[in-house]
Amino acid sequence: MSDLKRTQLYGVHIAAGATMVDFGGWEMPIEYPAKIVAEHLYTRHACSLFDVSHMGRILVEGPEMVPFLQHVLSSNVMALDLNQAQYAIIPNENGGAVDDAYLYRFEEDRYLLVVNAANTDKDLAHLQAQIKNYDAKMTVITGEWAAIAVQGPKAKEVLQALSGGEAITEPVKNALNTLQFEGRTVRVAKTGYTGEPIGYEVYIESGEAEWLWNRLVELGARPAGLGARDTCRLEACLPLYGHEMGGGPEGKEIPVFAVPLAKFAVSFSGQKGDFIGREPLAKQYEAFKRIQNRDFSDLADLPRRVMPVTLLDKGVMRAGMPVYKGDKHIGYVTSGTMVPYYRHEGEGLQTVILDEAAKRSIGLALVDSDTLEDDEVQIDVRGRRLKAVIPPYHMRVDAPPFARPIIYRPDEEDGAAASGDRAPKALELIGRAIENHVWRQEQCVNLIPSEMTPSRAVRLLCASDPSFRYAEHKKVKSFYDADVFYYQGTGFIDEVEQLLVEEMKAFMGCAEAETRCISGQMSNTCVFSALMDWKNRLNRKQDPQRLGYIMNNHIIKGGHLSAQPMGALHDYIAIDPVTERHALVNFPVLKDNIYKIDVEETKKAIDQYRPEFIIFGKSMVLHKEPVAAIRKHVDEMGLQTTIMYDMAHVLGLIGDYFQKPFQEGAEIVTGSTHKTFFGPQRGIVGVNYKKGELKYGLWETIETRAFPGSVSNHHLGTQLGLLMAAYEMNQFKDEYQKAVVSNAKSFARSLKAAGLDVAGDPANDYTETHQVIVNVGYGAGPDIAMRLERNGIICNYQATPEEEGFTASGALRMGVNEMTRFGFGPAGFDKLAQIMADCILRGKEVKEDIAKLRQGYTEMKYCFTEGQVLDALNELAKKSGI
Amino acid sequence: MNFPAGLKYSQDHEWVKAIDETTALVGITDFAQSELGDLVFINLPQEGGEVTAGESFCDVESVKAVSDVISPVTGVIEEVNTGLEDEPQLLNEDPYGAWIAKIKDISVFGELMAADEYEAFVQKQ
Repeated sequence: MSDLKRTQLYGVHIAAGATMVDFGGWEMPIEYPAKIVAEHLYTRHACSLFDVSHMGRILVEGPEMVPFLQHVLSSNVMALDLNQAQYAIIPNENGGAVDDAYLYRFEEDRYLLVVNAANTDKDLAHLQAQIKNYDAKMTVITGEWAAIAVQGPKAKEVLQALSGGEAITEPVKNALNTLQFEGRTVRVAKTGYTGEPIGYEVYIESGEAEWLWNRLVELGARPAGLGARDTCRLEACLPLYGHEMGGGPEGKEIPVFAVPLAKFAVSFSGQKGDFIGREPLAKQYEAFKRIQNRDFSDLADLPRRVMPVTLLDKGVMRAGMPVYKGDKHIGYVTSGTMVPYYRHEGEGLQTVILDEAAKRSIGLALVDSDTLEDDEVQIDVRGRRLKAVIPPYHMRVDAPPFARPIIYRPDEEDGAAASGDRAPKALELIGRAIENHVWRQEQCVNLIPSEMTPSRAVRLLCASDPSFRYAEHKKVKSFYDADVFYYQGTGFIDEVEQLLVEEMKAFMGCAEAETRCISGQMSNTCVFSALMDWKNRLNRKQDPQRLGYIMNNHIIKGGHLSAQPMGALHDYIAIDPVTERHALVNFPVLKDNIYKIDVEETKKAIDQYRPEFIIFGKSMVLHKEPVAAIRKHVDEMGLQTTIMYDMAHVLGLIGDYFQKPFQEGAEIVTGSTHKTFFGPQRGIVGVNYKKGELKYGLWETIETRAFPGSVSNHHLGTQLGLLMAAYEMNQFKDEYQKAVVSNAKSFARSLKAAGLDVAGDPANDYTETHQVIVNVGYGAGPDIAMRLERNGIICNYQATPEEEGFTASGALRMGVNEMTRFGFGPAGFDKLAQIMADCILRGKEVKEDIAKLRQGYTEMKYCFTEGQVLDALNELAKKSGI
Repeated sequence: MNFPAGLKYSQDHEWVKAIDETTALVGITDFAQSELGDLVFINLPQEGGEVTAGESFCDVESVKAVSDVISPVTGVIEEVNTGLEDEPQLLNEDPYGAWIAKIKDISVFGELMAADEYEAFVQKQ
């Protein structure tokens, strides 16, 4: 193997006893003494190191680097922000792949293109022929920088040991960062070829490569060879050039769109101009769309596609084996082997990954495009026709930190409810409801910050007669904007609603309030829909324009789900034609306090994006939002930006102890009435537009998007209950709000003193709201939240701004609002903090302690309790038969 | 690398353990398993089938590839080690314990080597 090239890490492979092979002209480790199966499994449950220094690394720079890359890559390079990476194909003129590649943007003024080792020379020749038409240059840096893939659920922990705890990258796929590992500069990408949800590729100067590899091994990572890299990528259904791309099994070139990832890797944005392969790729894309709609009438441009395949009979499929459906030869296996996995038991979040390993025979196959998921096929394994099936996928990565193998199982038929006597079921339901009520109200301490037990008065009113009625109404201009009701018998309801509007306007400090939305999410939908409608009011003869740019808090940084494109913004946010992504920009956060918006950086982002809509507000909220500072900046810039504050979580805190949103310059406030507010579950919209102002028209649109836009029946019972809650709030808010904020600070201090890791700024006692965030260790949130529940402490596990998603949560989110209402003060919260520390840190069972603590706080505060009210409530209960 | 003395070895890296003059157990050698890597599947032959020295009678699959197992003897398969179907890794972990087939009515023993000869043969590979 003397002619073969060696990477910077050749020496460590030999020292580790690796079996070396020729891989694309490089002498590379296929496996280490642990062998492929163990290396695969270690990747999946801990952390493996792969030497990927053999891959071609090409720096692209120069004034025309972007037009050059747009011309030679399939992806939209303009969509790539600084510190992001993207997958791309290097297409040829026929719509096939010269290679596949990853494009990294670690610096503003250069791009790093990483290509397959075996294709590097071919790729360079192809790219050189093109770059001469551009004022740009390429430099191969394969020899100067080594590359190590660090993949697996423990990868982040291992790397953070080297970064001194600093976050490695933003916790999203394809994020990049440049940082220091024990004094050495590294460039890190959250990318990889194993399918691991927690996987990084680290670039380091060649001279430091061995040091880094050995440090990672000391920290518990283990080397894995190309063999395990191949089984991991196969399990993740990632394509390999030469198998799923390039020349096919019959010598015909595989079209790029045959690979499912092409959907993400190919852009037809106008930004790309006439890039190489555009026309055949566009034809393939048309065929791809037909196939997705199960129109198989014209498959000429995309006759076969790559699909996963699982063997049902015993055996192993290999690349090149023919695939049949019945008697019809429908294609070939492109990759296949037996892949190990850890068995698991239990369901949902309680799924436990066992130590016991098993194997399954899986592959990828290039098969006729009319093949569907769940189709039974046969594979010719050296003369034997073995039964196989097309599964939807082999593995999922949406429950980090673990990649989850998906073992094929046919759908089970849903059993309809059995027939028979329902009376015993009715009785049982009532019994269980009693049990649940007593458990939650008497034996548990509730710390869910988005919940509140309403007073008895609110609950009784919610159940009284209006809860069975309709009262649609609409303002009519002919009657000087008087509300016209569509049904009779609604006089009381009309009166209640008018009173409620006045109470809510007084509470929020605004000019108008819409009370008909039945949830906070609906309030947001109403506003977003109204904004879009209002934007298009002057031209109704074309498809309405969506909203954009919009600025909000990123969901990972605590942003409210409801104010995201996946939530209520879904149908109202535009796609930026340049980046082909949602026209969304997130508030930058402070480096040393990721829970707080960075005002100066936000101003810069506003100048750059000139957002038409800014949405403040969060669901993981420790700080005030900088409404006044941003309002001032927007006004100084002369922007027409609409500023809204989604106060879902903090509606009940509006006032002297938190924020007065309208005084600070918000135009619209939305909220939920049942989190920090005292109400039943509803939503609210308040605006500060006055009659005669331009945007009063927007307010009127909001009203029509509430009714008839969102509700026909606006749940009159809870609206009645909400009026009582508004009376309570306006009467007692000064004491309540003061108590909530000081209790949260006091609880945070007590938790810290008890040894827990409280997030936030100690200078503010960790919080300025009702919430307290406690870090319990990466991925440990769900288990600890379940342990607390067993012990009568109800809170929710929460992904921090550095974590990948809810299954990887390492924090608990708690609110003091409900227990404050039941009379908890600093002493109660201090006791609670100590019990929680016993349970979290020492695994102590504390159920009895919690029940005892709870029994001292059963009487609801901040509501009307005098004798006359009690008598009236008893009368209401009696008359309403409750 | 292990080369137990009581066994005979073929050039194709199978071992033969004689039970009596016409009956023997056969399997793959330590060298074979180490070259093949992790074995993940075995396609066992049928009991009662005839095997011929020098011809494939079974195949084993590693993660990387499939390999034929060449019979070192001519005879009839009396029994196969069905335990390997669920645990093919036993071929890696205990190659001389993990017999593949018990062959009876053996008429021909192919060209077989003693342990020291086989060890020398492997050194040259």
